[in-house]
Amino acid sequence: MNPLSTLECVTLLIAAGICLLRYQRLTFPFKILAWAVITSFILKLLANFFAIKYKNNAPILQIDCITEFIFFSVIYYYLFKNKLIKKAIAVSIIIIVAAFFINAAFFQPFNKVFPTYIYIPSQILFAVFSLLLFKEMLMYPVKINIVKQSVFWYNTGVLFYSTTMFFFLGLSNYLAEHNLDDDFIFNFWYIISDVFHILICIAILTENKKISVTDE
Amino acid sequence: MNDEGLRLLVLLTVLFFVGITCFIIYFIVLYRSKQLKNKREQEQQQYAFQQELLRAQIEMQEQTLLHVSREIHDNVTQVLSFVKLSLALAVNSSEDQKKAKIAESRELVSQAINDLRDLSKSLSFEHITRLGLLKTIDIEAARINKSGLIQTILSTEGDVYPLGAQRELVLFRIYQEALNNALKHSGAKHFKISLQYHPELFNLTLEDDGNGFSARSLDGSGGSGLKNMENRATLIGAVAAIDSAPGKGCCIKVTLNPLEQRLYTDGYHPDRLG
Repeated sequence: MNPLSTLECVTLLIAAGICLLRYQRLTFPFKILAWAVITSFILKLLANFFAIKYKNNAPILQIDCITEFIFFSVIYYYLFKNKLIKKAIAVSIIIIVAAFFINAAFFQPFNKVFPTYIYIPSQILFAVFSLLLFKEMLMYPVKINIVKQSVFWYNTGVLFYSTTMFFFLGLSNYLAEHNLDDDFIFNFWYIISDVFHILICIAILTENKKISVTDE
Repeated sequence: MNDEGLRLLVLLTVLFFVGITCFIIYFIVLYRSKQLKNKREQEQQQYAFQQELLRAQIEMQEQTLLHVSREIHDNVTQVLSFVKLSLALAVNSSEDQKKAKIAESRELVSQAINDLRDLSKSLSFEHITRLGLLKTIDIEAARINKSGLIQTILSTEGDVYPLGAQRELVLFRIYQEALNNALKHSGAKHFKISLQYHPELFNLTLEDDGNGFSARSLDGSGGSGLKNMENRATLIGAVAAIDSAPGKGCCIKVTLNPLEQRLYTDGYHPDRLG
């Protein structure tokens, strides 16, 4: 196993541990985030196991892709106040889930490849959701210091992760077209993942339902 | 990977992360400035509320003093003058007449004492806080009835609950203003006061059977009292609806959600419930 991949597992384990420890103090959207992190950790372990044992972890990555999208979209659904955006999120979940099954059946087989056709639009949607949430935060600022707001850290994490993933996918295409070495991309991807997990940890640590700015 | 490719890769990555970092920093700065702006607005609102409350308190004091001065002039002074005259006449009267006049004077002095006691109660500006809105209006209504200027009818519905000192003060001021209008301008004979206490809704209805008015007939000065009522109601989170037509009297309905918190309220605000 790549040391960076191990480090990614460790950061995910720490994040899952923090989620479990602080579960009672979390508001509903962050309880969903806790479940998302724990599920992601379990799927990560399974993916590594499948990769070693069967030399193919595509089914796990497919499940990871769609569960991640559903979890994070539902979190956004609860974080937004704007009803129109809430509706748009609900519709996007239905569309992406339907597209996932169509893609798995006809375009990117469930047991063979990673579902990039689903992954890319889901990352674009996350970037859009996070920017919209930043805009909504500006519209309804609360008295709490921004660095003590779990929503800020969560949203920063998602924006950072989704835009980076999008950037890296574009970059890896460029490197592949020019026959350049893309190890750099994969190693960097692990580091970005670690940063994302750290930001999620901060979000979970700063979240407290007694002083939360989120609506339950 | 060749040098040119590596350089491009590093440049793009650096640019990307610088861009994202700049965006987050910009957001934090913008959010902070919004927070400060909001704080300033809230402070201004709180200041305006306090000013308006102070104005309402001063007006209430003025009204009370006016009423006290009238009562002393029209009632107490008259009674005491009569007592003085009666006692002066008693000097040359027979023993039986003296006794009768003294007894009569004692009764009148006792009445004057009672009137002064009532006046002293209305002179205390803290009585709304102590007695609450309903009791204060009740006392005022009884006093008005006694004066014979207008017949007031007070009714309540539901279980009475406190609305908070500041809200009650503003509501009492609205009541005073409406009563004043009924006495001064409407020529009304009856003035109905209704307080409805529902769990999530409070209603204060003030109704007279006077001349009434049309919205058009109100010039700047005439309408300012009513406008004032509406503004004050808004200030405590209530809505004042004024309904009147020529010959049909006037009805002022103040509706308030007792559970709703206003923007200016904070942990120490007397209006805070629960």
